[in-house]
Amino acid sequence: MNVAPRSPILDRRALGRALSRAADAALADILATPRDESRHLARRIGVTGPPGAGKSTLIAALARHRLARAGQVAIVAIDPTSPKTGGSILGDRIRMDGLVDDPRVFIRSLASRSATDGLADNLPEILGVFDDFGFDEIILETVGVGQAEFAVRDLVDVELLVLSPGAGDQIQAMKAGILETADIFVINKADQPDAAKVEAELKATLALTAPGEPPPVLRVRADAGENIAALDAAIEHAAEHQAAHGPDARRRRVRQRVRGLVWRQLTAVLARLPQEALDQPLPALYAAVLAGLAAGPAG
Amino acid sequence: MSDTLETPAVPTTLLKGKRILVAKPGLDGHDVGAKVIALALRDAGAEVIYTGLRKSPGFIARVAVDEDVDAVGLSILSGSHKELVADSIAALAQEGASAIPVFVGGTIPAEDVAMLLDLGVKAVFTADMKLDDVIAEVAAGLRGQPT
Ligand code: B12
Ligand SMILES: Nc1nc2c(ncn2[C@@H]2O[C@H](COP(=O)(O)OP(=O)(O)O)[C@@H](O)[C@H]2O)c(=O)[nH]1
Ligand SMILES: [Mg+2]
Repeated sequence: MNVAPRSPILDRRALGRALSRAADAALADILATPRDESRHLARRIGVTGPPGAGKSTLIAALARHRLARAGQVAIVAIDPTSPKTGGSILGDRIRMDGLVDDPRVFIRSLASRSATDGLADNLPEILGVFDDFGFDEIILETVGVGQAEFAVRDLVDVELLVLSPGAGDQIQAMKAGILETADIFVINKADQPDAAKVEAELKATLALTAPGEPPPVLRVRADAGENIAALDAAIEHAAEHQAAHGPDARRRRVRQRVRGLVWRQLTAVLARLPQEALDQPLPALYAAVLAGLAAGPAG
Repeated sequence: MSDTLETPAVPTTLLKGKRILVAKPGLDGHDVGAKVIALALRDAGAEVIYTGLRKSPGFIARVAVDEDVDAVGLSILSGSHKELVADSIAALAQEGASAIPVFVGGTIPAEDVAMLLDLGVKAVFTADMKLDDVIAEVAAGLRGQPT
């Protein structure tokens, strides 16, 4: 399926339905009909960072700039699923209201479901649907991260880490994790008094953790669109260095895909485990779980 | 996925895996009911998207289609429910999404309910109903829907 770039999205209903099928696909179905990895690939921009940092607001502002470069832009925003009820409130798109009337933008909200890595079940399959529909770019908002979830790295071409004033302590906690993987650092809420301080702290931490050329750090104000043009340019620059279509990027994506599938299967195996099984010695339990994994997806 | 074929309906999983849009069409600023319902649907296992206040029927239909929701719930306390429901249903049809069931809640006088049902609304809810019953009826309305 090859939709001409710089045109409105033709069949939104079909796309919406295809995304649901990908999101709900059982493991066995995914394995039975593996996607072709060598087709058109949309550039992927990952946006991660703590809850409330302004990721959704930033994406809304950024999308306007990206649209000047790309024909069709998809936004995929993930919110956490309650482990207790399985329910969720998908609240990111409420910050993106202004984009709904643009025929070149498609916003899709996802619940994380069983995923606990800041992403969502079947995310690689879901993103692949946008590839099929000829999108040029996907902006992906992760669940607000703690400190360890950097799985998004393998799934995107350019990774943005968004921080905001008041996140000073978080920077300390983060330094071993996503601080090492992000391509661009965004200090949002530049209108707030501590923005300069957070930037200084971040730069000091980065100097310690990432030797060599320091990654770009940009101070922006997402809710007023300030300095978003500079961020847009930085993304373009980073993407050029990423060789998004090379074999490395493809392999990274495949690695994350298989990791996601095994994780889902592991979650299912653990959920099916009878209580008594947890009383056996660790080596036996471990072997039982591995056997469950090897047995393959159930339905 | 139908891995829970005929398991008895446990309240917390009544709406598991269902995607529901809670929308506020028109100009009314009463959002307490919409938020109460959004949380109740979530607690019943649904994935809930809330539009926020003052959205046009066209906006609501676009979001419903992009998000491919299993149901649209309109919350209306302005008294303009007849026009807003008719327009929202027409907007869904224009987007090729007539198959998405529509529910309505808010200050709907009893004498207007039949008219809304005639427009194609699945069920109408008011504040005097028990929340559990509302959720159960939404779930019943979704059962047997083509997915
Ligand atoms: C609180 C209230 C306000 C608050 C609203 C605060 C807020 N952020 O929501 C304030 C003070 C701001 C307000 C203002 C006004 N209000 Co007022 N307000 C009320 C009041 C007293 C209660 C509404 C409420 O929150 N109920 C509690 C919630 C939980 O109930 P609910 O919304 O009905 O929702 C339940 C069900 O209906 C159902 N449901 C609702 N939506 C949905 C959706 C789905 C999908 C489902 C399944 C179920 C469902 O489930 C919910 C839970 O049980 C009602 C009177 C009343 N008793 O309804 C008047 C009322 C709604 N207001 C009214 C009016 C006229 C106004 C004003 C125009 C007054 C004025 N002249 O200034 C302004 C307009 C404000 C605006 N911008 O629109 C009228 C509306 C008349 C009409 N419908 O024809 C009412 C009915 C009062 C009256 N009897 O005249 N109001
Ligand atoms: N002061 C200020 N507030 C902002 C800015 N950007 C976003 N916000 C607010 O920060 C809050 C969280 O934003 P949101 O985009 O939902 O954050 P997310 O949880 O990271 O997606 C909202 O109330 C926004 O309006 C900004 O540049 N300055
Ligand atoms: Mg967000």
